[in-house]
Amino acid sequence: MRQRALELGVPLDRIHGTGPDGAITVADVEAAARGAAAEAPSAPAMRAPAGPPAAEPAKPAPRRGFDPAEMRKAIAAAMSRSKREIPHYYLASTVAMRRALAFLEATNRERPPPERLLPAVLLLKATALALREVPQLNGFWIDGGFRPGPGIHLGWAVALRGGGLVAPAIHDVDKLALPELMAALRDLVGRARSGGLKSSELADATLTITSLGERGAESVLPVIYPPQVAMVGFGAIVTRPWVDEAGGLVARPVVGLSLAADHRASDGHLGSRLLAAIDDHLQRPETL
Amino acid sequence: MTRDELERVVAGVLAGIAPEADLATVKGSEDLRDALDLDSMDFLNLVIGLHEKLGIDIPEADYPKLFSKDGLLTYLAAKTGG
Repeated sequence: MRQRALELGVPLDRIHGTGPDGAITVADVEAAARGAAAEAPSAPAMRAPAGPPAAEPAKPAPRRGFDPAEMRKAIAAAMSRSKREIPHYYLASTVAMRRALAFLEATNRERPPPERLLPAVLLLKATALALREVPQLNGFWIDGGFRPGPGIHLGWAVALRGGGLVAPAIHDVDKLALPELMAALRDLVGRARSGGLKSSELADATLTITSLGERGAESVLPVIYPPQVAMVGFGAIVTRPWVDEAGGLVARPVVGLSLAADHRASDGHLGSRLLAAIDDHLQRPETL
Repeated sequence: MTRDELERVVAGVLAGIAPEADLATVKGSEDLRDALDLDSMDFLNLVIGLHEKLGIDIPEADYPKLFSKDGLLTYLAAKTGG
């Protein structure tokens, strides 16, 4: 209990105990932490999750400006919990992006700037469709068991200017057409950076994606956001030597795709299936 | 439009994307994306903002011409007939 209070940064003298003789229980600590978060208007977006989204009380309304030190603390709490509790395993592969980029180029050529798509929407949609085929990685690890997500709600990690990050969710990504998904992503990133996210958006992702963007590193080994059971990472799209279908060596755009998954909930065999399915969807961009 | 006027338009659009970004501190040959920490979404928003403010088309194939500050201002000057 003291350990949990320390993790959540809740002073013990402010907690009402409900145990025998007013003893403070872990549940009291967590309830107090939730209460404190609900009171603070600058409550950091990436807080330590306490359980399944549906079981959580209403969270504070849109945040205005934020305290970088508070956000650092919240990230520290969530990531420490992840590394303490989740036995991560990691998989990685390299995905050819020539077809996906050619599809984007052709699509964007006919569209004015406000209607253009970014590679990110293809990565999101391909991941969502792959999760339909491997639903065991879409959901939560709660009370010693896996609970499937109520839909494919993908958290998208957004780096904030001035430090920190948030990972708000886009709902039902598998059902959105690419232009809808692009509009949702633009809206979400804009609001994440201006402090206008709804608290529910920060709580209900069923799997989170981190994409390092065009100037990022080539690959990432993600830290799972509990209680989710997996996280998918994409590095920057880079041009690298590639062996084509005829066995010839060519320069091609590729992306480093990676997965961190909770070994309590799945094994590498299943994780490999997810990565293969994402790759497969990215090779058929016209079906996304 | 003069180069100064165009620079003011660009700075105005950037203010809505990255409030702390100061275009005046960027050297002419520097990559704006590196200098101002713009990701691909920010860059797309810059293109959208310039498209709307100046009423010009900016094909995706031209993006590489816009990465440096000098390149961007030269491109805009040509597109706006200045």
